[in-house]
Amino acid sequence: MALLEKPEVAPVKNRKIRAQSRWGLALVNGWLIFFAIISVIPMLWLILAPSKTDPQVTHRNPLSFGSFHGYVKAWKNLQFFDGGVIGQWVINSVMYTAAIVVIGTITASLAGFVISASKIRFKRTFLISTLIMMLVPPVALVIPLFVEMDKVSLIDNPWSVILISSLYPFGAFLSYIYYTTTIPPELYESARLDGCNDIKLYTKIALPLSWPLISLLAFFAFIGNWANYFMPYIFLPSSQNYTLPLGLGFLFYSTPAINPGVGATSVPILKPEIALAGVLVAVPIMIVFMVSQKRLVRGMLAGSIKS
Amino acid sequence: MARVKKYKQRKTLMIVMLAPYLLLLLFLGVVPLIMAFFEIPAKSLTNPNGGFDAFWIVLHDFRFATAAKHVGGFMLIFVPLMIVFVIGMALMLDVNNSKWKKYLRLAYIIPASVSGAVAVLMWYVILEPTLSPFKMVLRFFGIKEATQIWQTQNLVYILAIMAFFAMAGNWILIQYGSLQSISTEIVEAARVDGCTGLQLALRIKLPLIKKYVIYMGVLVFAGGLQIFVEPQLLTTSVYNGIANAWSFDQLSYSLAFTTGDFGGASALSIMLLVPSLIGALLVIFKTDMFDEAKTPGKKLQGEG
Repeated sequence: MALLEKPEVAPVKNRKIRAQSRWGLALVNGWLIFFAIISVIPMLWLILAPSKTDPQVTHRNPLSFGSFHGYVKAWKNLQFFDGGVIGQWVINSVMYTAAIVVIGTITASLAGFVISASKIRFKRTFLISTLIMMLVPPVALVIPLFVEMDKVSLIDNPWSVILISSLYPFGAFLSYIYYTTTIPPELYESARLDGCNDIKLYTKIALPLSWPLISLLAFFAFIGNWANYFMPYIFLPSSQNYTLPLGLGFLFYSTPAINPGVGATSVPILKPEIALAGVLVAVPIMIVFMVSQKRLVRGMLAGSIKS
Repeated sequence: MARVKKYKQRKTLMIVMLAPYLLLLLFLGVVPLIMAFFEIPAKSLTNPNGGFDAFWIVLHDFRFATAAKHVGGFMLIFVPLMIVFVIGMALMLDVNNSKWKKYLRLAYIIPASVSGAVAVLMWYVILEPTLSPFKMVLRFFGIKEATQIWQTQNLVYILAIMAFFAMAGNWILIQYGSLQSISTEIVEAARVDGCTGLQLALRIKLPLIKKYVIYMGVLVFAGGLQIFVEPQLLTTSVYNGIANAWSFDQLSYSLAFTTGDFGGASALSIMLLVPSLIGALLVIFKTDMFDEAKTPGKKLQGEG
């Protein structure tokens, strides 16, 4: 009862507190808006830059719009680079990311399911090693991974990047948490009594109940790999195998657009073209982030907040 | 007997389902770690006799001390900036009750889609007075040419700010999420007791999300230590030579792929792995972030 009575008193005091800190609150809100504007401006520049010509990018207002034709022209100009290799980069980026998302999601979800639904030995060892792999950045293992991939002749083969990036300990951990907290073991038991084997248990019971998990896994796999520069940089030296981010770096290197060290070339790759390549890398990620920000928070805090 | 057979069959099926992930974990997680140790004593030009002298040789490489200075300076700015700013922003966002809060969150997440190559392009533009959407700010500081800023000695600050913007937005949202786990009763009770907004934030909310702050700290630290892409791209593709072997990972890359000294590169990798491992173990065993994994199957013990 005492707890119930408190709110009756609270509003009076709250009003007082709110009145006192009105200025503080205005300051806080002002700062929040200021930082939001700062956050948006660079991306706005990037999206608007390809609509303009190169001189316009330099001389006009940085946040002005040129024309829609500008995007078409910038894309056409990009085709002059190395026989239109940018098309290949787009295809590579889509293919590698899709493969990683599919393999990573399936293997992680299966692993999480098995660990949560079975009584296999070394469960704890398995989970702890998964957690360690999850918290150690993948870059840390790149030299030994290179030596390993070299031994199995997978250097300059897209499968090196696909396989390395498909190891998805964070996904396996998320799946484990999801299955243990949402599916009661009794459900598995009764299905087993009805003659379900464990593969059916996964396909008929766990999977249909875990679409929120699958979308979470696919989301994290996508944002982690679409813009990844590092792995392809180490493992895929030929430009035919590049992904878009790697190709973007190659454009910096080989055109005078933003590299003062490169002399004039006949290829029409200037700032609008470079910006368009940047848009192709950044905008898909931005859209995915914006539509699934709840997934980001839910995934990163999984296992510790029980809602 | 039939029961035992069925149990064995079940176990086999489970192992078959676990196998794809297990194989990846084994061959791309455990095996490379073991290989790194075996690679260290390999003979190379810098370590002609081979053996574990590789560690000494790397530590005495003149570039190691410089890289340590750079990465150390970078971390000293980046890690505290991230933690203080992100927590501050999350706490402020938590106070804001307006209906446009969701638009703020959308705005904060945008810079997170700019990383690696695009981040280099973006910061090239931001710090270039002829192009920058923040021209006024550059002018205010008397910057007329980008080369005034793009100097090797300034990279510690520039790269810290780049990394900060690439990561802050995500973490603001995540920590804001962690604040939502605090029960409204606690907040209300503190208010009734006369807590001001600031006291509420620092004395009540902050201690309650401590473990998430540690979690973030470890991930931010481990990620920062391995900085590679931005300085490497800058030095090879934009301002040639500005950041050669600037970071540990660049040095490791240069040892392996320029000098062919895989022993030295592996030794350096292992040295860098140690702090990340310690951080990981700290989060796993010293916080209750992953209790679910430490006591697996607690809920399933009744299962047969």
